[in-house]
Amino acid sequence: MKAVVALIEHEAGVVRRSGLELASKAADLAKELGAASAAIVLGPGANDAAQALKSTPIDTIYAGPDVPAERFLGDPVVDALDALLKRIGPCALLVPASNAGKDAGARVAVRLGAGVITEASDISVKDGALVVRSPKFGGSVMSSIVFVGCDYQVVVCRANSFTARDQAGKGEIVALAPPPERQYPARVEESVVQEAGKVPVEEASIIVSGGRGLGGPEHFDIIEALADALGGAVGASRAAVDAGWIPHAHQVGQTGKTVTPQLYIACGISGAIQHKVGMRSAGIIVAINKDGNAPIFEFCDLGVVGDLFGIVPELTKLVKERKGAA
Amino acid sequence: MRIVVAVKQVPDTSAEKTFDPQTKRLNRSSIENILNPFDEYAIEEALRLKETLGGDTTVTILTMAPQSGVDVVRKALGMGADNAAMLSDDAIGGSDTMSTAYLLALSLKHIGFDLVLCGTQSTDAINSIVPAAVAERLRIPALTYAKKLHVSGNSIEIQRETESGYWRVVAQLPALVSVTKGINEPRYPTLKGIMGAKKKEIAMLTLAGIGADAARIGDAGARTKVESFEVVGARARGEVFTASDPHEGARKIMDFLIAKKVI
Repeated sequence: MKAVVALIEHEAGVVRRSGLELASKAADLAKELGAASAAIVLGPGANDAAQALKSTPIDTIYAGPDVPAERFLGDPVVDALDALLKRIGPCALLVPASNAGKDAGARVAVRLGAGVITEASDISVKDGALVVRSPKFGGSVMSSIVFVGCDYQVVVCRANSFTARDQAGKGEIVALAPPPERQYPARVEESVVQEAGKVPVEEASIIVSGGRGLGGPEHFDIIEALADALGGAVGASRAAVDAGWIPHAHQVGQTGKTVTPQLYIACGISGAIQHKVGMRSAGIIVAINKDGNAPIFEFCDLGVVGDLFGIVPELTKLVKERKGAA
Repeated sequence: MRIVVAVKQVPDTSAEKTFDPQTKRLNRSSIENILNPFDEYAIEEALRLKETLGGDTTVTILTMAPQSGVDVVRKALGMGADNAAMLSDDAIGGSDTMSTAYLLALSLKHIGFDLVLCGTQSTDAINSIVPAAVAERLRIPALTYAKKLHVSGNSIEIQRETESGYWRVVAQLPALVSVTKGINEPRYPTLKGIMGAKKKEIAMLTLAGIGADAARIGDAGARTKVESFEVVGARARGEVFTASDPHEGARKIMDFLIAKKVI
């Protein structure tokens, strides 16, 4: 294997946290394999993102600011990745488990005849090859998966699985030549921002979730206030989503997102198996529920039986005080 | 217009999972199987399109499964799909994600389509890799994570879920769309629908018929291999504290978060 390459996502030049995590992991794996480490960052703002990546331990940063990633759905990124990986030769590609990351990984894998391993919560090196740890069946089983007979290997990485390190590598920036101007079949006609500046639930390191116990959509305010104070995202149980209190993008669980934050605070969520499978891999689980018999108290690290309408705002106040004092 | 909905049978999530230590595969026979909940949104969307577009629009269900998969196909037919095609062969067992996409793409090519609909993910694997990989194989637009869908003539428009909102994306048919939960409210099969489903045609596809290369499927074709697996123990039950007033409850959590260094 010649290299370990990280696909970096950014928002107008600001590297997403997944990008910093993947860059650090790619560098570590490359070192152990005796291979090169590289990052690829595409679309408008890629040059700024490439500069920011210099503080990560990555060796080579491929920047393609002219790739029209925001004008067409997926295709320009897949073309650029395909061309670059063929140029690099046999390698591993780490992609984030975002919608765009999974699409890019899947499609470039088809083009390169690569193997794909998803939902990676850790990657290590054994006998000169990658071993990927991946939870299966709602986190009830942890599998170790290897690649077999393929030159190109794609790993889809869960958020918050690797530690982002601030340690500069060689950080050589290589500019990718502008691709020829062309039209792709899936055109982006409009980009609508509905939740500016909010952390998506699948990427967040802290999630505050609300469930049926909130009683109505208006009460998500207190959940959001606590999430904002903690710098986290707002999650929800299926009951809250199905009641129409909050959009489906926030749903955690079997028919929603599978999340792996450092901290998960469940407010008014009973903790049915369908919710549990989506959040059981969180670092720390705190539950607030007025029903002392709620199943969630069986698998949380700290459970508080009490009135969430009193406790949540009070906790928000304490968090703000502490952050203000720090 | 010919709409094909790709569906999957999945083990019921509330069921206990057991594994065959030899094959390192899930003992699917010991668990009740259900239609992947995400696929219901795709079926519903297909049926709504058929109702809107009328004319000669047909909805075909496609699945790749052991013979037991016929149950989920019947459920989909009971919801109102016109007919189904099923690829079932022991040689498929052990196929990985990319082999699955290969077989689905060949099946789709074989039965013909203008629009392919599917769920964004399955509840057992949560890969979300197959839809994009199938579209790439078929060289058609991969319109994934659609939370809204509109078809007009040969033109298709979706709202594609992004981190902060959505993209309005336009393409031409043929295309593949994966739909998110929340795009609609799936209907339940009616008694009449269930009775009618028994008479609907389920075409059995064969590996030879779709032109599948045996070297690219099953264990032989897999580019990934499960080396080992272990059952993850249940999370230990932590402290459960009864708060006498809100401040006491909040203080308890705050002290815990500070002790755990997450704040």
